[in-house]
Amino acid sequence: MSYQILGNDYFRKDGIGKVTGREVYASDVTLPRMWHARVLRSPHAHARIKSIDARAAQELGAVVLTYADVPHLKYNERIVSIPPHLYRDRTVLADKARHVGEAVAAVAAPTEQLAEKALRALQVEWEILPHYTDPLAAQRADAEPIHDSYILNGQEIPVENNVAVTRVVQVGDIEEGFAQADHIFEREFVTSRIYHAQMETKSCVCDPAPDGSITVYPTTQSIHNVRQLLGEIFSIPLHKVNVKRVAIGGTFGSSIQMNSIIPICVALALKAKRPVKLVSTREEDMYDHVRYQTKLKLKIGVTREGKITAGHMQALADIGGHNIQAYALLSVLAGWTASLYNYPNLKFEGKAVYTNKTPSCALQGFGNPQATFAAESLMDEIATELDWDPIEFKLKNYVGLGGTFWGQGPSVQSIVRSDGVPQLLHDGAQKIGWRARPKPGTQTGRYRHGIGMARGFHTSGAGAPKPGEVIDYSGAFIKINEDGSVDIVHAMMDHGGGTLEAIAKIVAEELGVPIERVGISPADTLTTVYDVVTHATRGVYAGGGAAHKAAVKVKQQIFDYASRILGLQADSLMIEPDYELMQGVIYCPNFPERRITLGALAKQLQVNSWGTLAAVESLRQVNCPPAYVTYFIDLTVDTETGQVTTNRAAIGSDCGTVVNPAMAIGQLEGGLSKGMGYALVEDNQWDAQTGQLTSKGFWIDGKTPAISEAPFVENIITHFANTYEPSGPFGAKGIGEAATNPCAAAYANALYNALDIRFTELPITAEKILSALAAQDERASRASDYLENKVVAVMQAAE
Amino acid sequence: MDKKTIHLTLNGEAREWRVYPNELLLNTLREQEFLTGTKYGCGIGECGACTVHVNGAPRLACLTLALACEGADILTIEGLARDGKLDAVQEAFLGQSAFQCGFCTSDMIMMTRALLNENPQPTETQVRDYLRGNLCRCTGYASIVRAALDAAEMERQETA
Amino acid sequence: MLPTNTHILYPEFDYHAPTTLYEVTELLAQYGDSARVMAGGTDLLVQMKMERRQPSQVISLMHVNALQGISQNGSLDIGATTSIQEIHRRLPQLYALAEACNGFSSIQIMYMATLGGNLCNASPASDSAPPLLTYDARVTLKSKTAERVLPLERFFLGPGKTAMQPDELLAQISIPAPLPHSGSAFIKISRVVADISQVCAAARLTREGNTIRDARIALGSVAPTPVRAAGAERDLIGETFSPALAEKIGKQAAQEISPISDVRATREYRQQVAAVIVRDALLRAWERAQ
Ligand SMILES: Cc1cc2nc3c(=O)[nH]c(=O)nc-3n(C[C@H](O)[C@H](O)[C@H](O)COP(=O)(O)OP(=O)(O)OC[C@H]3O[C@@H](n4cnc5c(N)ncnc54)[C@H](O)[C@@H]3O)c2cc1C
Ligand code: FES
Ligand code: FES
Repeated sequence: MSYQILGNDYFRKDGIGKVTGREVYASDVTLPRMWHARVLRSPHAHARIKSIDARAAQELGAVVLTYADVPHLKYNERIVSIPPHLYRDRTVLADKARHVGEAVAAVAAPTEQLAEKALRALQVEWEILPHYTDPLAAQRADAEPIHDSYILNGQEIPVENNVAVTRVVQVGDIEEGFAQADHIFEREFVTSRIYHAQMETKSCVCDPAPDGSITVYPTTQSIHNVRQLLGEIFSIPLHKVNVKRVAIGGTFGSSIQMNSIIPICVALALKAKRPVKLVSTREEDMYDHVRYQTKLKLKIGVTREGKITAGHMQALADIGGHNIQAYALLSVLAGWTASLYNYPNLKFEGKAVYTNKTPSCALQGFGNPQATFAAESLMDEIATELDWDPIEFKLKNYVGLGGTFWGQGPSVQSIVRSDGVPQLLHDGAQKIGWRARPKPGTQTGRYRHGIGMARGFHTSGAGAPKPGEVIDYSGAFIKINEDGSVDIVHAMMDHGGGTLEAIAKIVAEELGVPIERVGISPADTLTTVYDVVTHATRGVYAGGGAAHKAAVKVKQQIFDYASRILGLQADSLMIEPDYELMQGVIYCPNFPERRITLGALAKQLQVNSWGTLAAVESLRQVNCPPAYVTYFIDLTVDTETGQVTTNRAAIGSDCGTVVNPAMAIGQLEGGLSKGMGYALVEDNQWDAQTGQLTSKGFWIDGKTPAISEAPFVENIITHFANTYEPSGPFGAKGIGEAATNPCAAAYANALYNALDIRFTELPITAEKILSALAAQDERASRASDYLENKVVAVMQAAE
Repeated sequence: MDKKTIHLTLNGEAREWRVYPNELLLNTLREQEFLTGTKYGCGIGECGACTVHVNGAPRLACLTLALACEGADILTIEGLARDGKLDAVQEAFLGQSAFQCGFCTSDMIMMTRALLNENPQPTETQVRDYLRGNLCRCTGYASIVRAALDAAEMERQETA
Repeated sequence: MLPTNTHILYPEFDYHAPTTLYEVTELLAQYGDSARVMAGGTDLLVQMKMERRQPSQVISLMHVNALQGISQNGSLDIGATTSIQEIHRRLPQLYALAEACNGFSSIQIMYMATLGGNLCNASPASDSAPPLLTYDARVTLKSKTAERVLPLERFFLGPGKTAMQPDELLAQISIPAPLPHSGSAFIKISRVVADISQVCAAARLTREGNTIRDARIALGSVAPTPVRAAGAERDLIGETFSPALAEKIGKQAAQEISPISDVRATREYRQQVAAVIVRDALLRAWERAQ
């Protein structure tokens, strides 16, 4: 397939703003009469508020909010799940602190200095309660309840043993499946609680008007969901809630939900009756969200012929102080597991437990990096133990073309119709030198070299033939201006990966207009139709799909009107970009002299008072095709310091048609940096005594990888599969989250290859490597025990 | 605590500021001059988001008192393009799409500019060394390195 | 309330920008404990933001020319406010010190941070201290009325604590002229590159043929202050150098220290890796001591 515009690189439309420092992010918005806000956050992990004395703060001239001043409606901040699955457990300000850093009061004042002063003048009387940083302790029968109840579907549901939600999913019968197996493998994998570390801390400006309407400039991945929630919480009709799209300085999932500072900022502005700005400090932001920490016990049965017969996953998620999306998390953990490999019999048992720590939410991949780390580590081990090449083993068992794919849990299923996995594995293996990789256990000496591989995917959106538990559709409005240029009015947020850029290209391609004449309009909730949220790798596939649908409509109008003017059948017409005229030109191949530019046509429509060429469309995709990704990592371990150097990485992506080549490569390179951080260094610890972050708000203690941790440019090899997704706009599907999902497992497998040691706990730090090497030495020296202990896995012949 | 008056040059223009002793350069730039291209990322020197040039050297505006800038020559991202023409570094970042969300872009560009001022033909190792204190969560840094090397090449050809 | 790092610098203070040393010492004499001098501010402003220090008077040293620059007067004299970047650029032949300066987290910090600030902050993780200890550096302290010179070793008393009196300032760091045939090296281990150390070590060796005539070993992040491994040093002097000796001395130095576990590393890791980097620093220093 060849395209005029897709697949080419252009200067990004948001580029000039970004390279000149003029792009406006929420934290940059300044309005006349604007006040500054600060939030009082709990120093205690679990404490009831007995009283707050605000008099001194008010005397300083500040506006103060406490629980008593805000609506008491319990809400769930992530209205992506359908209403029956929204677990509502929080209010705008808390009446009880459930984690250190929980917002319990807020102030606004003319300057930040004064706001800070007022904040310090607030007198809070606390009743300290026992707190739990460990999910096992939180579940004990005598544990203090973190939440007494939550609201689900209008019902108040009591919480028992601090368990937020459980979920069991079964396919077939695992007892039978394991009975058919010749070998059974089982391991427990532990993942870490990393911070999103997006560069911009979450921010919001709210501008209230005298008629009761509000205009909000928030950090968000969905302006429409923020609008609807604000309308509900503050009882404002939606036509009076306008949420504006401003650039986001990274979110990585932390603003899929309406983040917690937005309603606080709105409440302050409503009370102060003037614009209020609330910008989180870095430390506050660190106390607001992390990736789900999980313990995953995975058991897999296989036949002598290398066919999987059964899988059993038991998942424990430590969700922290609030349930943002734990039900959905358990669903997708089941879904990712079921979609990675063909399990004729599968059982998933998930449990999500409250603890007094920072609440968890999606972080690039939503449970997928966790599930893929477990599955791809264990599959590598199974293949190795059964003497298979891990690539061959994968090809035999993975869910590919024609298979059933669970996009977001059991309720979102569709059939795989494009699959580049065989090509990616083949190409990646060649690029990295897979066949020449060392044999585990053969190296001695200080520096040891290893190559590891893993495969994964992410869903392109959450569409499916049946309505599921997840809302998924987009809308777009496209109009042709009177000079032939095009406006796209689309509510989608762009994380920076170039989603809006891709949408513009798709529209330009369909309409046959030079990309330079296609504009992306500023967006707000008053002037756009609904788009659910930029998450789940759905931007191009679903958001681009909606824009494509509208463009097809507009193109039909173009041909209908042009046929009147040119005196030719509409069906005989074509449109193509003319780069000299910088216009789309409508013509008929049989009558080349009968042509009209799109600008002339649109102008003629105006002169004749015929109307505007425009269409608005919504689209729910009925599929959620897998965006496959493969990782090959080549690394060196210094066995004396435990430090790991990434020598090379080959990252393969099957995103269907590559709409934005430079940006697709950028997604993969970014995925490597974050995946490597997750695999090797990033972590967050909570002090069990105080419930505080041990990093004390120092970013460096979370260890976000910098440029020094990245491989040299020519050693990051990116490659793409040649596939075409029949259900996507021009054959495109997603890439974003897929780009990082299998990375940690590829590192773990490469470390195994180098050291003959299986690591099952993230991050695999230098310290863990040294102590594992010491344990290995000890085992080797106890020669009699050697055979028994060498196979660390619990591997047993089935009856 | 009283405001004091200082004089300085900002993006080539003379300026008079009245600032409190505890005012940070970052906040003066963003809130008094409305130059919001210089960003707050951490406030304690860990991310590089607030990088500006003071008397030609890269400095963190979050750890600089505004008062300490008496007589200084300050350059921010907004002052880099001259007479409507982008600096070669900006041009190269644009050409390489060396940004995603763009929140680190100002600091990456200011750092790259400082590097090329010191060392017009850096190697990749030198680029990595110079940008090591500037975090980017989006790009994985590869496109930024490509852009820095591109900018050096563009300037070499210009002067050749 | 959770003490937190905000966008602003909340504490209020008066700011002084004297231009002569005498003025500085006068201000110090006047304000004593309530004053704090500020050099690059990369430690002080962070501590003030976190409210670990709340001086009511901040005295900038950056306009005092006498505190700035590097000169040779038999010994090498480094003004206290000379930046880490300048030291790295100007003193490449002092390998360990140059490597330590280049090991600072970021270029911006290298430009802003001063050598005097790095020492006066008295962090166990100071990167410049171990090399300076191996060079037998001395510090000159000045008050309005007096001046005294201390060996750097006696300057550090504990985390954040030095031998300086409230009315004193550090004016200069002096490094005695190096003995011929000397070489030095510095190695830092951190979780990510742009970070303060989990453990760091510097070594200096002076050779006479294949014999070690003089030796210094110092470590950072392993004790309340940067420390020397005196026993290991003694066991090197007079010996014939060999990789096996370096290996043995590395282990010995690691036994001399008793680090703690904290957010950055466990005690065991520090001890284990100290042995490795002391050995490697010795190997490198020996190679350089031509
Ligand atoms: C992001 C970041 C990264 C860092 N990375 C490193 C690193 O990798 N390695 C490392 O060693 N350090 C590091 N530091 C710490 C810091 O930069 C250094 O310690 C620096 O050298 C301090 O110098 P300064 O001039 O900025 O000191 P200041 O902050 O100005 O002063 C520090 C202290 O010393 C006192 N003081 C300063 N000068 C004098 C003087 N002449 N006489 C008496 N007292 C004085 C001050 O009153 C203050 O108490 C880092 C800091 C930050 C913020
Ligand atoms: S904001 Fe200044 S370094 Fe992060
Ligand atoms: S582009 Fe987003 S942080 Fe660098």
